[in-house]
Amino acid sequence: MGPADQVFSISDLTAAVRTILEGSLGTVWVRGEVVQCRVHGSGHWYFTLRDSAAQARCAMWRTYSQRAGRPPADGTEVFAQGRPTLYEAKGEFQFVVYRLLSTAGIGDQQRALERVKAALDKEGLFAAARKRALPRYPSRVAVVTSPDGAALHDIVTVARGRWPAAELLVVAARVQGDGAAAELVAALKRVNRLRVDLCIVGRGGGGREDLAAFNDEAVCRALAAVRVPTVSAVGHETDVTLADLVADVRAATPSAAAELALPDARAVRRLVGDLGARLAGGLSRRTRLAVERLERTGDRLEGALEDGLARRRHLADRLAAQLDALSPLRVLERGYAVARAADGRVLRRQRDFPPGQPFTLRVTDGAVPAHAD
Amino acid sequence: MTTPPTGKPAALADELARLEEIVRRLEADDLDLDAALALFEQGVACLRAARERLAAAEVRVRTVLEDANGTLRLGDLDG
Repeated sequence: MGPADQVFSISDLTAAVRTILEGSLGTVWVRGEVVQCRVHGSGHWYFTLRDSAAQARCAMWRTYSQRAGRPPADGTEVFAQGRPTLYEAKGEFQFVVYRLLSTAGIGDQQRALERVKAALDKEGLFAAARKRALPRYPSRVAVVTSPDGAALHDIVTVARGRWPAAELLVVAARVQGDGAAAELVAALKRVNRLRVDLCIVGRGGGGREDLAAFNDEAVCRALAAVRVPTVSAVGHETDVTLADLVADVRAATPSAAAELALPDARAVRRLVGDLGARLAGGLSRRTRLAVERLERTGDRLEGALEDGLARRRHLADRLAAQLDALSPLRVLERGYAVARAADGRVLRRQRDFPPGQPFTLRVTDGAVPAHAD
Repeated sequence: MTTPPTGKPAALADELARLEEIVRRLEADDLDLDAALALFEQGVACLRAARERLAAAEVRVRTVLEDANGTLRLGDLDG
């Protein structure tokens, strides 16, 4: 294979190497000793990081160096966060640094963190018994975060897809950098003046950014004092902050927080549909029972009436028969006659008939005049 | 800028909890017809309210602002 087959220009080569270099490692933390930090007029810093066996040339652009404070003195041991790249104009490997922390400072921070953690733990702020259940159907959700951060965007996106009945009240606070802790405390206190069902506190971004505000003692205490259930969404899979431990529920990301906090409207619509069907079913079952009961009662009533009527009819018949038997007309019918004097007196004995005495015989179909001989 | 942030939130939770309770009682046997009908009417009202709340078209996002005198109010969030 000769040179005519495939020839890279130097630019092609360095661009390709740069792509490989940037794509394979991404953002990493390194530890090393700073040598010869030079502050350029533009505000960029250039220095070398080395250990006993190797060294790397570093650049820290003004945007980042401004946040880092004073340039590090020679020999300072640091943690540097950045990504390797290739400075194509010189064909040089370069480590572009975003953050620079002295290891001594880190040690101090770590000790402070452990102290706060122990104190909060002792007070029971991390206790499982303190954890409150999230409301099933929150209407109003306070979101404590940066109003222009990715966290808010992610939460709103999930809420739109999942629970359109939600109202999100954004309580703005810076979530990193100087003053973030104080703003978070103020925001969390504000949440207690709102009528909300739930509070999500968090920040977005997947990178290892500054988590200090979420390890801050005052922030943790303010979070513990929030009167509604809390969900933390600090947006970091590996580092658990103290705020995560204090929150009632910890979510790995703001999107996950919204998913944990908000019900799925489709499932709730199904539930409402089921409840509607059960409501109708409950009533129709109830009315059916009532109709059946009514029918049973009706049958009994009718039976009772019929019994009573038959008994009464029978009685009436018997009484009628007796009445009939006692009727004097029935006696006359059988051939007897009643003799009466002219004054109507009934003549019962022989001596009531002196000779020549007129009287009347009452027979079944009339009266017959007669006299005794 | 409309409702005060301290007002009562629309309580779908309450409606659904009541509805579940009503259905549970209606499904129990120890209920006379009048009581069942009254419950059913309440249930239908809850159902309607819950459906209306669920029909809310769009998530509302508002920002909480604090005045100089410390009063909280709600503002619409840009975008």
